[in-house]
Amino acid sequence: MSDEEMGIVSRRFRLAFAITGVAFVAVLAVSPVKDYFREWKRYSKEYVQYAQIRPDTKRLLADFHPGIDQIWIPEMKVLDRCTTCHQGITQSGLVDPSVPQPFRAHPLMPHHPREWGCVICHRGQGAATEVSEAHETTLAWEQPLLPACYIQASCGVCHGEDLPETPKLNRGRHLLEQFNCVGCHRLQGIQRPEMIGPDLTEVGSKESREWIYKWLKEPMTVIDSNGNATVDGYLTGQPRMPQFRLNGQELAALAAYLSSLNGQPEESYRFDARVAAAWEKRPDVAEQGEARFRQMFCTTCHSLAVTRAGETKLIGGDTGPELTKVASKVNPAWLVNWLRDPQARLPHSTMPRYQWSDEDLYKVTHYITASLTDPDLLSTVPKLKSPGPEDIQLGKRLFQDKGCASCHVIQGIPSQKDFGPDLSGLGGKNVSQLDFGNSKVPRNLISYIQSKIVDPLSVNRAARMPQYYFNSTDLDAITTALLSMTGPPSSSGLAKLMRPRVQAVFRPAGSFGKIYERYQCVVCHRFNGYGGTLAPDLSFEGSRAEREWMIDFLINPTTLRPTLTFRMPQFNMSKEEAAIAADYLKTVFQTKAVDLETQSLKSYASEQVTLGRQLYEVKYQCQACHTLGSTGGYVGPNLSNAGNWLNAAWIKAWLQNPQALVPGTIEPRRAFTDQEVEALTAYLLTFKQAGSPKTKLVATNTRGGAR
Amino acid sequence: MRGRHSILIFILFGLFLLPDCRERERTLAVKPQLRAYDLEQDWNDPQRTILLDYQQAQGKRIFYTACVWCHADATPAGPSNRSNVTPTPPLLNDGNVLNSLSGEFLRNVIALGGSAMGKSTMMPAWGRTLTQEDIQAVIAYVRALAQPPYQAPVRPSS
Repeated sequence: MSDEEMGIVSRRFRLAFAITGVAFVAVLAVSPVKDYFREWKRYSKEYVQYAQIRPDTKRLLADFHPGIDQIWIPEMKVLDRCTTCHQGITQSGLVDPSVPQPFRAHPLMPHHPREWGCVICHRGQGAATEVSEAHETTLAWEQPLLPACYIQASCGVCHGEDLPETPKLNRGRHLLEQFNCVGCHRLQGIQRPEMIGPDLTEVGSKESREWIYKWLKEPMTVIDSNGNATVDGYLTGQPRMPQFRLNGQELAALAAYLSSLNGQPEESYRFDARVAAAWEKRPDVAEQGEARFRQMFCTTCHSLAVTRAGETKLIGGDTGPELTKVASKVNPAWLVNWLRDPQARLPHSTMPRYQWSDEDLYKVTHYITASLTDPDLLSTVPKLKSPGPEDIQLGKRLFQDKGCASCHVIQGIPSQKDFGPDLSGLGGKNVSQLDFGNSKVPRNLISYIQSKIVDPLSVNRAARMPQYYFNSTDLDAITTALLSMTGPPSSSGLAKLMRPRVQAVFRPAGSFGKIYERYQCVVCHRFNGYGGTLAPDLSFEGSRAEREWMIDFLINPTTLRPTLTFRMPQFNMSKEEAAIAADYLKTVFQTKAVDLETQSLKSYASEQVTLGRQLYEVKYQCQACHTLGSTGGYVGPNLSNAGNWLNAAWIKAWLQNPQALVPGTIEPRRAFTDQEVEALTAYLLTFKQAGSPKTKLVATNTRGGAR
Repeated sequence: MRGRHSILIFILFGLFLLPDCRERERTLAVKPQLRAYDLEQDWNDPQRTILLDYQQAQGKRIFYTACVWCHADATPAGPSNRSNVTPTPPLLNDGNVLNSLSGEFLRNVIALGGSAMGKSTMMPAWGRTLTQEDIQAVIAYVRALAQPPYQAPVRPSS
């Protein structure tokens, strides 16, 4: 090779070397450039710029964290870098919605972000520093951010108890219980109750075959001529029974099987001959019966459809079933026997066993059979041919195949458990763990849950789940409750914080126990954290009410709060029973905060009464909320009989601190002086009504009330 | 010639890589309702939904337990107590009355009662029943509900 040639080669080499060198530098430069343009750096810069135009610049810049900022809590497995971009999260000055994201502060809440991190509640990928990686589902991280409208689910992960701050979660849990989802599914924190659906062992003696057919086909009774439910009652929890997808043959077979279960023929109750003779010919027996039905406050638990101004509404409570067309359902002999002793037919029923006089029973049952019925209800049912043994056999098989035995009991048929999939860890599932099949459902957990509930066939054509009808609010509530069921805690730190869902139980023994069982007090009243919330908590009733008043009240419940629709039913309790109940309540349900001993013999001077009146009417204007005589507000109880009802020690303790006696009561706690407390007590004790006041009938149509 | 080609290829390659340095602008498209802790229907316009954050939602809860009886025309239990109270208390969403009142005034009138602030004695003092946070939450709720809408005063820059 000549020198010349060598020169050419080396020149080429030099050129190649130069190009490669430049390329190498360029490739190396990509990395710092990429780093320079990192999203979080941009947000940091923007935050500093934004802070400049704020009035509180100094403070914002003093708290600014340059670089990657993270919250690290090893025992809870928290490593969140969200605050790298969300710089203003704890700045109280940036809480206004006009502040642009990601700089806005977190609204005030009980858990401070620096102590808990973000991902524990919001989900998403805490360690990510890219917007999409932190918020969305990516290949490496499947848990996306939880939309704020379901965020209460995260409260429920640790808080098994119902918190007042999380109404949506509480409603969802309540719906899951009410609709007996635990019949087929296993759910976290919700126990399977003793009785789910009614015992059907002798259902044939209660309902006709046609009615069973109709019920299985469409378990809504209040429908228009097109078969559409006209009352949104179906959406508010009536009936509990969902709609199954059954064809005509299956319906007929199930109806044949169930109506063949008739056990003992229903024996008609013999009314007292004089009562029957006296009422038989009366044309107003149904009217009288309705009046009695209303006086007894059956509507506290049962609702009836009422049409006013073209709009049909269910009016009444939802503790028991809706009764608008109940007479088309049950036969009259069964109805009478049921009212006389519900627990003899269904041992777990929560219906109280009333003390009926023959007259009342006659009137009320006649009202129900005559008025709460619909001759056209069964018009859509085809003519059913008399069933052969093969129909009954098919019905029996369907009863198990469709999972009926998950909720209903029939003697001799094994009960089914876990008929549907286990949902106790559903809320924490990754998208890849869910089976979407070929459906068009968007691939995320929330869409999966909601489409499964709205239309069980949307994801899996072969699903066995029946059809429920929920409005969008309830659907969101149920979704929230299901999302809160994330299975066992993800870290030891969280495990320590878990608060289980505890259910206290109160079952008194002895003679009060019998009364308590008979009248099902616990369905509406609460005793030391156990029982319903429809009526006042009786845990401290012994310290509050006087014995004689209690006896009068139990025999003839009066209205203390004029606007309430849901009143204590009239049980026709005997005097002996009332006395036993009053004595028990008086001695057992007391609070230390009220010392009954010191007050019993105290008398008040007339000057104190005068001062009390002045305080009541002028200084504190208690009449804004309380009624005395015929004037005053509706918010608090009527105090016209306070002297007979309340004891002095209770009034004093109550005036000093109402929340200490009844947590959550809305009576505001005032700053009364001791002298004022004495004077107000003296004044209130002067209000005594002679004799027991008559029960008044007030027709209002909404539920609830101030407690 | 070939060198020029290679340079061109490198430049093209570099151009191809460049856009990747800056992450594409991504908007997290989420329905506004999904981003709210709770919702409230506008009292005057049932079609309009008001989005509430955590604090406002707590205010709503407290309002529906303690205040609704006198500051609304219908209550969870039916008829309102508003007509029994003189002078008639303002509706909670009445922006014409409430928007002009400062946060501090509202805080005081709730905590200390009407008589302390020269208003009706029938408005009780809630300062010993509700916490400061509760009262703040109720005010946040009042502001969210106001009709005409509430405009926060512009803070003087320091």
